[in-house]
Amino acid sequence: MGNKQTVFTPEQLDAYQDCTFFTRKEILRLFYRFQDLAPQLVPLDYTSNPGVKVPYEVISSMPELKDNPFRERIAQVFSQDGDGNMTLDDFLDMFSVMSEMAPRDLKAYYAFKIYDFNNDDYICPSDLEKTVTKLTRGELTPEEVGLVCEKVINEADVDNDGKLSLDDFQNMILHAPDFLSTFHIRI
Amino acid sequence: MLPATLPLLGMPLSGAGAGVADGAAGESVLPPAGLALLRWQWHEVEAPYLVAVWILVASLAKIVFHLSRKVTSVVPESCLLILLGLVLGGIVLAVAKKAEYQLEPGTFFLFLLPPIVLDSGYFMPSRLFFDNLGAILTYAVVGTLWNSFTTGAALWGIQQAGLMAPTVRAGLLDFLLFGSLISAVDPVAVLAVFEEVHVNETLFIIVFGESLLNDAVTVVLYKVYNSFVEMGSVNVQAIDYVKGVASLFVVSLGGAAVGLVFAFLLALTTRFTKRVRIIEPLLVFLLAYAAYLTAEMASLSAILAVTMCGVGCKKYVEANISHKSRTAVKYTMKTLASCAETVIFMLLGISAVDSSKWAWDTGLVLGTLFFILLFRALGVVLQTWVLNQFRLVPLDKIDQVVMSYGGLRGAVAFALVILLDKTKVPAKDYFVATTIVVVFFTVIVQGLTIKPLVKWLKVKRSDHHKPTLNQELHEHTFDHILAAVEDVVGHHGYHYWRDRWEQFDKKYLSQLLMRRSAYRIRDQIWDVYYKLNIRDAISFVDQGGHVLSSSGLTLPSMPSRNSAAETSVTNLLRESGSGACLDLQVIDTVRSGKDREDAIMHHLLSGGLYKPRRRYKASCSRHFISEDAQARQDKEVFQQNMKRRLESFKSTKHNVCLSKSKLRLRKAGRKKDGSADKDTPNGKPHRASNLPDTAAVILAVESEEESDSSETEKEDDEGIVFVARATNEVFREHKVPGNGSMEVCPSPRIIPPSPTCAEKELPWKSGQGDLAVYVSSETTKIVPVDMQTGWNQSISSLESLASPPCAQAALRAAHPLACAPPRGDELRDPLAALVTPSPEPHAGFTFAPSLAKAGRSRSESSADAPEQQELQPLMAPEDRGCLSPGTANARWLIQFNRAGRL
Repeated sequence: MGNKQTVFTPEQLDAYQDCTFFTRKEILRLFYRFQDLAPQLVPLDYTSNPGVKVPYEVISSMPELKDNPFRERIAQVFSQDGDGNMTLDDFLDMFSVMSEMAPRDLKAYYAFKIYDFNNDDYICPSDLEKTVTKLTRGELTPEEVGLVCEKVINEADVDNDGKLSLDDFQNMILHAPDFLSTFHIRI
Repeated sequence: MLPATLPLLGMPLSGAGAGVADGAAGESVLPPAGLALLRWQWHEVEAPYLVAVWILVASLAKIVFHLSRKVTSVVPESCLLILLGLVLGGIVLAVAKKAEYQLEPGTFFLFLLPPIVLDSGYFMPSRLFFDNLGAILTYAVVGTLWNSFTTGAALWGIQQAGLMAPTVRAGLLDFLLFGSLISAVDPVAVLAVFEEVHVNETLFIIVFGESLLNDAVTVVLYKVYNSFVEMGSVNVQAIDYVKGVASLFVVSLGGAAVGLVFAFLLALTTRFTKRVRIIEPLLVFLLAYAAYLTAEMASLSAILAVTMCGVGCKKYVEANISHKSRTAVKYTMKTLASCAETVIFMLLGISAVDSSKWAWDTGLVLGTLFFILLFRALGVVLQTWVLNQFRLVPLDKIDQVVMSYGGLRGAVAFALVILLDKTKVPAKDYFVATTIVVVFFTVIVQGLTIKPLVKWLKVKRSDHHKPTLNQELHEHTFDHILAAVEDVVGHHGYHYWRDRWEQFDKKYLSQLLMRRSAYRIRDQIWDVYYKLNIRDAISFVDQGGHVLSSSGLTLPSMPSRNSAAETSVTNLLRESGSGACLDLQVIDTVRSGKDREDAIMHHLLSGGLYKPRRRYKASCSRHFISEDAQARQDKEVFQQNMKRRLESFKSTKHNVCLSKSKLRLRKAGRKKDGSADKDTPNGKPHRASNLPDTAAVILAVESEEESDSSETEKEDDEGIVFVARATNEVFREHKVPGNGSMEVCPSPRIIPPSPTCAEKELPWKSGQGDLAVYVSSETTKIVPVDMQTGWNQSISSLESLASPPCAQAALRAAHPLACAPPRGDELRDPLAALVTPSPEPHAGFTFAPSLAKAGRSRSESSADAPEQQELQPLMAPEDRGCLSPGTANARWLIQFNRAGRL
């Protein structure tokens, strides 16, 4: 790792360590992965905080992600500009949330955000319909999707307002066994 | 196959033959004098007869054990069976002077083991299994190797140390051989004990998975050592060790491959059984058994083969075979497995009595017990420590304790030790005795204590929480999210491969192995939704339908898919203990003309029975009797009504066609209503329900249903068949020839035009009724046939609460409206809306457009009005409400409410 020092200043590394759940080594590994995504855009010298963004098109064009129904949503949720263009910080954040060290509440919060397509802080029926449609890849009729969503909301809607608040969501998901315990990735 | 298997089965059991005076078998042994013929017959049937008797004894023993809940809650069944076996063995020994009916390795491996393994493989929670595959494989392979080497070596050590009697003549190889057979955790024993303990799923799947997969290791070690021993340790070349290692891979991978090949064949075969449903269950068993035998023949791991066959084929087979076949497979498999397990434990007990095979050596026995416990615990701790470096959910200390303690040995070890060749393994008798002690100790002592231990350690139990739609949804979502994140980071982990596999499965395997119809219908989320609905419906029925809160009830609805449900409704009903499904005819009506005739007769009868009651009701309604009192009286009647409604739900399928006709009918109905009943006390002019209108509506609906039914009959694939009763025909023969076996109507549209008239007659007709009732306007619901009765009851109770049917019936003649106002108020405000005759009523419902068409059908039907009147009430609760608010019954209102919620 001869170029370790040339990528980040020690202060940067410390800052990243403070903000994420990663060690220096992991941060560097993730950085190289990030750099891999768009080698021509991302400089190898990050000491000046260039703030480069990897456009969403780069991420979505990865062959592995071609069939993933949530690729767009994930990129949107974790990118600061909300359009799926990711900076290094966003990138690190994303994995930080997925790490084992991240508290359950944080995971639940981000999971909630992924569902909340219209960003109104509630999972409303229209959000759920989008989710279900994505999950089933359009194999259900709109009517069926509606039924499923209705049922989902009925199950978890504690306050009976016809939509799921973050509290509803956490309440449901934190009590479900193994939900969040499996919601992470080892890197 | 049968003739071949029976003698085989009988051989080990029959042994001494006629001389044996075992209690049950003895009866058929007749005195020889003058009865040669009979005597000859006994020899003919001896083998199968003994097999049957033993199974019977085992089954009866089970029944006896379960007479007392206290005993079975403390003592595992396997312990009881072994003890029973000991007693029976003692009796046999005392009577026959020699041990009989022992557990023969041949019988065990060829007949008793396969059903148990198939059962566990087929019903293995595959997701859980593959999620923990790494851990399972580690414990199964590394753990078993570790156990056998260390146990064998340690035993050899204590022999060298002089702690064993000199009569135990065994070298290192012999002890390693013994270690290999004694170290394997036994699937049968583990299953028997752990199923009663209910530890959490992860723990269970790890211990159980290990016990299944370690078979390959055990078989290899056993065979390798055995051949080494037979060759003599001097002659073993280095190449033989290499071969031994290689054979581990050959045996395990080969066994798994054989299993997967047969799983593929099985899935492919069931894809084409559409016209011969009856052999579907047989195919499952035959091919799985063929997999077992093939692997055994090639000396591969047969257990692994049959496990993989079960795991691999389930998804496709379940999708392909019919709903009834699924039930058959499930029950047959469970029956066979439980039967085999029972017999195994009992025979184990019996075999232990035979002291001629024994040679006791305290040092060996105690040493073995000590070492298997010690090394099992050591192995588990070491492996878990390594595994926890990689596992997402680490196994904690308590889990490790249970895993160590749950390493039960069983019949596999016993059968293997019996198979040893005494001339090559001089210490065989000692090994047999030790094995018996070990098996008994683990099954009885550990089996008895593991439950208290689990309680004491507060091991996370499996919580049988209901699966929720949320869970299913989030699981899928999280899978995708995790896979996406792994992709982005370029880390090919578990999620990545699972995602790949799922895509491959979806694109190729499922297309190839599933029927097109099944493939299309298979959507897991929808499946879960459907199952949940069925369950809700059942629980609703179980509650006697007294709970009116709409929240508790969501009607199962399947607008476009008939067969989505995987679960067998019958099972659900049975398991939930619902008494609702008493009407067998409903289940079986399906397609034959004979069935239909039966149904008609049935309905005629029930119709006749109810008639007196109807009148009674009518009078009640006239007098505005309090609803509650009437409700109770009319419960039965309402049940029938509900039936009809349920059926009409089924017709939701045909939404489009029906809607048109219904719309027309509705319009007509409205007009009529408005003009006809203006005198209603409430002052609601439109309320009056006209018999003619209703009749017309009914006709239209039914005709469509017929067509639908014919279509549906052609489709055999549906897991759940919705049956509309043929009974309608009886009443209106000329009008509607036959109700389809399946009728799915768009809930909104199936509207019987005239509620009041219909209501009167509903009670009777409901029994016959094909007409559906609408619970929810927007959502179309299909109720599986099995559940119809349940529904009927629940709905009827609902209705009764809202408004007594009798009253309504009476209304038909007099003024239905009178009753309506009070009920309506109570039930819900929306009644006001209903009062206004015209279009408004539809607001709540989606059907509005259909009204226009109602007119036509109505005119047609007018002639038949009287007959149809009876039918009408059943059919269209909602519509009625819409059409003529005044007439709308409380029932309808209730239903509307529900619909509104939905």
